[in-house]
Amino acid sequence: MAKLRYLLAALAAAILAPATLADTGETGWAPETFTLDNGMEVVVLPDHRAPVVTHMVWYKVGAVDEAPGKSGIAHLFEHVMFQETDDLGPEEFTSIVQRNGGQLNAFTSWDYTAYYERVARDRLELVMELEAERMRDLLVNDDPEGPFITERDVVKEERRQRVENNPGAILFEKVMAALYPDHPYGIPVIGHMDEVAALTPQDGIEFYETWYAPDAAILVIAGDVTAAEVRPLAERIYGELEPAEKRPARGWREVAPLETSQTLTHSDPKVRQPEWDRYYLSTSFRQDSDLAYALAVGTEVLGGGQTSLLYQSLVEEQKVAIAASSWAWLSLHDTAPAGFSATPAEGVSLDELETAFMAEVARILEEGLPEDDVKRARNSLAAQAIYARDSQSGMANRYGRALSIGLTIEDIAAYPDRVRAVSADEALAALRTVFGREGNGAHVEAHLLPEAM
Amino acid sequence: MQASLRSALAALSLVSMAALSSCGGNAREADSPPSADEPASAPAPGLDIATHEGDFVEIQQFETPEGISVWLVNEPSIPIVSINAAWPGGSASDPQGLEGLANSVVYQMNEGAGELDALAFQTRMEELNMSFGCSAGRDWTSCSADMLRENAGEAMDLVALAMNEPRFDDGPFERFQREALIGIKRRVTSPDFLASEAMEEALYPDHPYARETSAASINALSPSLALSHKDDLMVREGMLVTAVGAITPGKLAPMIDKAFAGLPAEGDLDLPGEVVLEDPLAAPKRVDLPQPQTLVRFTAPGLQRDHPDFFAAYVLNYTFGGGGFESRLMKELRVAQGLTYGIGTGLGFGGELATWSGRGQTRNETAGRFVKGIKDQMRAISRQGITEQELADAKSYLTGAYPLAFDSNSKIAGQMMGVRQQELGVDYFDRRNGAIEAVTLDDANRVAAEWLKPERFTFVLVGEPEGIAPVETD
Repeated sequence: MAKLRYLLAALAAAILAPATLADTGETGWAPETFTLDNGMEVVVLPDHRAPVVTHMVWYKVGAVDEAPGKSGIAHLFEHVMFQETDDLGPEEFTSIVQRNGGQLNAFTSWDYTAYYERVARDRLELVMELEAERMRDLLVNDDPEGPFITERDVVKEERRQRVENNPGAILFEKVMAALYPDHPYGIPVIGHMDEVAALTPQDGIEFYETWYAPDAAILVIAGDVTAAEVRPLAERIYGELEPAEKRPARGWREVAPLETSQTLTHSDPKVRQPEWDRYYLSTSFRQDSDLAYALAVGTEVLGGGQTSLLYQSLVEEQKVAIAASSWAWLSLHDTAPAGFSATPAEGVSLDELETAFMAEVARILEEGLPEDDVKRARNSLAAQAIYARDSQSGMANRYGRALSIGLTIEDIAAYPDRVRAVSADEALAALRTVFGREGNGAHVEAHLLPEAM
Repeated sequence: MQASLRSALAALSLVSMAALSSCGGNAREADSPPSADEPASAPAPGLDIATHEGDFVEIQQFETPEGISVWLVNEPSIPIVSINAAWPGGSASDPQGLEGLANSVVYQMNEGAGELDALAFQTRMEELNMSFGCSAGRDWTSCSADMLRENAGEAMDLVALAMNEPRFDDGPFERFQREALIGIKRRVTSPDFLASEAMEEALYPDHPYARETSAASINALSPSLALSHKDDLMVREGMLVTAVGAITPGKLAPMIDKAFAGLPAEGDLDLPGEVVLEDPLAAPKRVDLPQPQTLVRFTAPGLQRDHPDFFAAYVLNYTFGGGGFESRLMKELRVAQGLTYGIGTGLGFGGELATWSGRGQTRNETAGRFVKGIKDQMRAISRQGITEQELADAKSYLTGAYPLAFDSNSKIAGQMMGVRQQELGVDYFDRRNGAIEAVTLDDANRVAAEWLKPERFTFVLVGEPEGIAPVETD
């Protein structure tokens, strides 16, 4: 039942879990938070259902902070963080965690880099010691044929696997470059292949020394603990780490509006089913929360699922598409994309699909959103915050992600109320601002096509 | 071997490591007070409840007034309820020529019931902030419903309507067919689909497990065929029900009866027989696909759950290829040689097929080296076995990580249904770590010598692999 295709599913996930933001109110549950003397923020998310914890360290650094020509260093460096420290031999970090029944991983985005371990609660102190060790005492091996270089080969394989094998991902890279010609969101997080291939151990060392320090880190612990238990451990283990002297400002900056529209096409022998997408620049929770909340509700009503206006019209009535949706990303720090996505029905060309799709958008933006649909969308978005509490690691992620892009605990707590406060007029106005004639209408359109015969 | 975090943000975030698949885990009762109107200690009138106080979860077993057996984990700390049902028989029971039939049934289950057409049904689910959907696996058909405690009664009324009066209207049925036909077009360039198809063709070409949908089989389906097949799939006989969340047996039992008691007593399904695997191919089978990497899949006969060496194989698999960065395959092929982003192996069991298989990707130019590296590791582990330290590491991970599989309602629901489907017993969670601890080095090494020899494995390569000695092609 793949009603959304792969790439958009990824984008949709970021919205559907308007995830940056969860609830607190309903059941009296609340996070606890404090800050260590060296500037490291700590968030504790109690969940006593099972005697386990999710321990995460979020660093306030990501691909936006890469120097020109060094694309991919933030992500490659994340791999290198598993290699070796003053006190831990090669690959020993992972061995210790797994021998203690722990699961671990890490991930890098434009806005942040995060590391996590999931362990039984009596191993929390151990993984705190391990993360603290590699925060300041990593060894970057500078052998030109050593483990840094081998890991660089691994990342090149990762890039082939994620991007180059996948025509949709290749086109998405082109789209982001066109949306963000003067902003680092236009550069892929995994990096351009030629630039990754030229990264050196020295690049890794400089990146580490610049960005990895307790005053640029957020500790998030979810699970069977309380802040009272965490605080003395955090003070002893992380609190003694030296903050960095100084570091450059983050690479975030204003996103220039698109001046003209363009259509990008990618043809590939692996594509058997054309896909149509349109991307606009919109906003984010961090940039303009009023507009972001209204847009979250508006895109849900317009094209959020099977009951949405676009799906009902284009898939159910006109039958020109087998999938049709609208989405808004909103969880980036800087201005994020929003847009439309559709898969044509058999025998329908992308031009025909586009004409039908945009006519429907224009009609809805003109006529307005049905009050009942808006109410339902608000309630579903707010209820997701309750369901979200079932996942311990999901909760740790959502808090860590929000805080690392500069949102607050209060912003997260306010999510259900703010969603519920969006009126039909506000949702409509947001759609008109981003997609309609109240904006400049400039967009990037993406056509994924089979190879020309 | 995809990380869970990875799936959500595949395009946005990059994960450094292939994740471990976890197996099993632990939950204690939550500390939130039960809600005022249903104290947890209240006796449930007429229900005979057997409570199993396990190490990880407390399972309440009871029969509803209409005789449906239910396993419940009461977990009041989050105001949500998850209810699941499963029936033996899935897509492998589709009649020949009607492949896709079970999928057409489950697709329709939330597309209209009673007076509600598809849009009205979906709208009602949104109004109730609930979800309900069904799926057909190879051997099992399942439905699950997630709802808020505050309106669980209304939510289960809607589920009952779907189970007892589904509409199977032409509109959504044709939509299912349109989607399925596009899926058939798309899959011919999916490396994993091509690899599975080639592997099935090599190892069990005539078994129902090897059958795939086709445009002809999808076009041969109809709402009336589907509706009648629903009454063969979703029946009282063999039905398993589990629930997790903020609900007591007394409240749950009538909801279960309303939804499921009215199903037909039994159905008429062709359940597939045991798979007898063909001999492994001597040379890798190649499927051409224009892309920069080659997907390598390898499969050998494996052990069913009730095999006396199952746990020895399970522990051994961690060291061989299942233990993420701690596995020999990852240490050698990723960490030491940088040939791949990830490689992993796993035991496939359940149903009528047991396999030991793995997959990894490498660039086309290094495909030969990659396959040789995998075979070298098979040869080494089958000849020399593993060390005491490796065995201890595997056991400490597998037992220590088990509680992680019980840290959410949805994971507990999945674990509990698995135990019921495989008939492992209500105390399985409590016994499982002991079975792992009991594996000796002799057990593990005997299994390695018998099961992991490279010549037992059939290799399939999808891409434009180079450096592969004579290959079988289609």
